[in-house]
Amino acid sequence: MVTERELETVELNINMGPQHPSTHGVFRMVITVDGERIVDVEPHIGYMHRGGEKLSETMDFRQAIGYQDRTDYLAQFLNEQAYCMAVEKLIGLEVPERSEYIRLILCELNRVTSHLMFIGAFGIDLGFFGTSFTYAFRERERIQDIFEEVSGDRLMYGYFRPGGVVWDVPDNFVQRVREVLPYTKQGMRDLDLLLTENEVLIARSRGIGAMSAERAINWGLSGPMLRASGVPWDLRKDQPYSLYDRFEFSIPVGEYGDVYDRYLVRLAEVHQSIAIVEQAIDQLPDGPIMPEKMPRKLRAPVAEVYAAVEGARGEYGIYIVSKGGDKPYRLKIRSPSFCNLSALKEMTVGNYVADAVAILGSVDIVLCDVDR
Amino acid sequence: MAEGEQPDAPAEGEPPVQPPAEAPASPPERPARAEREAKAPVKEPPPPGSIADLFAQALPGVSLDAYQGLSSVIIEIGRDDIPKVMPVARDDPRLDLKFLRCLFGVDHQDEGLEVVYQLLSLDKGHEVTLKTRLSQDDAKVPSVASLWKAADWHERETRDMFGIHFEGHPHLLPLLLPEDMTDHFPLRKDNPLAEIAEWQGDFLGGDAAAAADEEVEE
Repeated sequence: MVTERELETVELNINMGPQHPSTHGVFRMVITVDGERIVDVEPHIGYMHRGGEKLSETMDFRQAIGYQDRTDYLAQFLNEQAYCMAVEKLIGLEVPERSEYIRLILCELNRVTSHLMFIGAFGIDLGFFGTSFTYAFRERERIQDIFEEVSGDRLMYGYFRPGGVVWDVPDNFVQRVREVLPYTKQGMRDLDLLLTENEVLIARSRGIGAMSAERAINWGLSGPMLRASGVPWDLRKDQPYSLYDRFEFSIPVGEYGDVYDRYLVRLAEVHQSIAIVEQAIDQLPDGPIMPEKMPRKLRAPVAEVYAAVEGARGEYGIYIVSKGGDKPYRLKIRSPSFCNLSALKEMTVGNYVADAVAILGSVDIVLCDVDR
Repeated sequence: MAEGEQPDAPAEGEPPVQPPAEAPASPPERPARAEREAKAPVKEPPPPGSIADLFAQALPGVSLDAYQGLSSVIIEIGRDDIPKVMPVARDDPRLDLKFLRCLFGVDHQDEGLEVVYQLLSLDKGHEVTLKTRLSQDDAKVPSVASLWKAADWHERETRDMFGIHFEGHPHLLPLLLPEDMTDHFPLRKDNPLAEIAEWQGDFLGGDAAAAADEEVEE
């Protein structure tokens, strides 16, 4: 005879990370489970905190560009764009048209590489072993080669400057981009055929970790996470910066805000980014890459400024408090991964423990961006 | 032998040290220029019809010091008004600021600490920056984490970095810093990065930087 006391369940703590392949970096979460159900999640971050905001206070405006590459290291051009936009707004620099085009093309290509990274890693999270990863990386590598030809570096580009770009693109830049885009499109078709209708992926991601539009806004989610919940908010359309108002593109949105929708939104965004690059590369004008009368040392007035771009993961913003001089008094990085990850508990509690990896993967975090 | 040569080299290099002494004309100009630039700008009132008017309508009787910033309207509010202002900012249909973009602290040293709230309305497309000042000794501010869940981690980060206590926050524990680091606030200005400043002084400051200052690249 079994008494009720003997059937009593005990809640169990499972520690995941900081060294775990599914945490996409150095991240730890303590999951409390009741059987297979998650009842509590406590994320622990800060392993990658390098005090970038404090460091930027001691650097002049050009030196801190290199730091922007090292926050979100999968969308470096987009971060540099946000930082340079903030400095330009603060100092009042006008960016020449050619530089704006170069920046925009590189930013959109960077969004493609970042989303390819997500799609590849997402497949691994859900049990596709290496197939999706190798498909995605084959195409990512081709674009990465263009970045290397342009900036001279594979990861930490440091190519944008307040006022423009550091040097002009190589002569064959336009031709190289036109060469690579068909491969990217073919690669996206391959990934689409491999993953989108795949029974394993659908079974593991549909209806999991859903966020309603209202909750997504309240939690401060942005980027593909917010759009998957059905909110068509994209800074490129809603608060246009750079030259985005010149191009035709649409904002893909999801319906249910679950893990599957986040995948679909990113997949669709890649096609939109390719469309923007195709339009921009045809229009790339000749001309200077830096404004005339560029001061050698950038001096800022007493002012405060905020500039944000639609990064690959969401709104990447830079707030600069300046008290004059050549250094920011305070620099705040509003990083999308930080805000998106803060809702992890909200998304995971109530799901099965096996889904925690899928939900974490769908946030598409970069831990260096979370911790800064 | 090589050690013997090294002391000789600075002795021979003494003449090049002299030229900076010949040019005392330029240094006196620099403080003047810096002073000119550091002069506090005139706070321009926000244009009519801006979000500051909506705030004034929605919150009669609350002191709102509004001015136009470079990227949005900035409104300074008193700390004690936060429990009054924030729910209205979020829920009033005219304001509808449902999205908390960011929340962070600034250390103004003698002028106290500042908490900055960046609010955005996705439906109306307008935004505003709210600010409140605190003194260093009484660094407490009511939490807004119950209104915007997004504020949860931002407030924890601000506590880590500035030691600002957010009253009413459900679990104000260290987030980015180690769990036992509760009395050291790295982003306050009284914790300078001294070594980097020295390094910059040697390699980037001094006469070379002063000369480069006045030059204009073509």
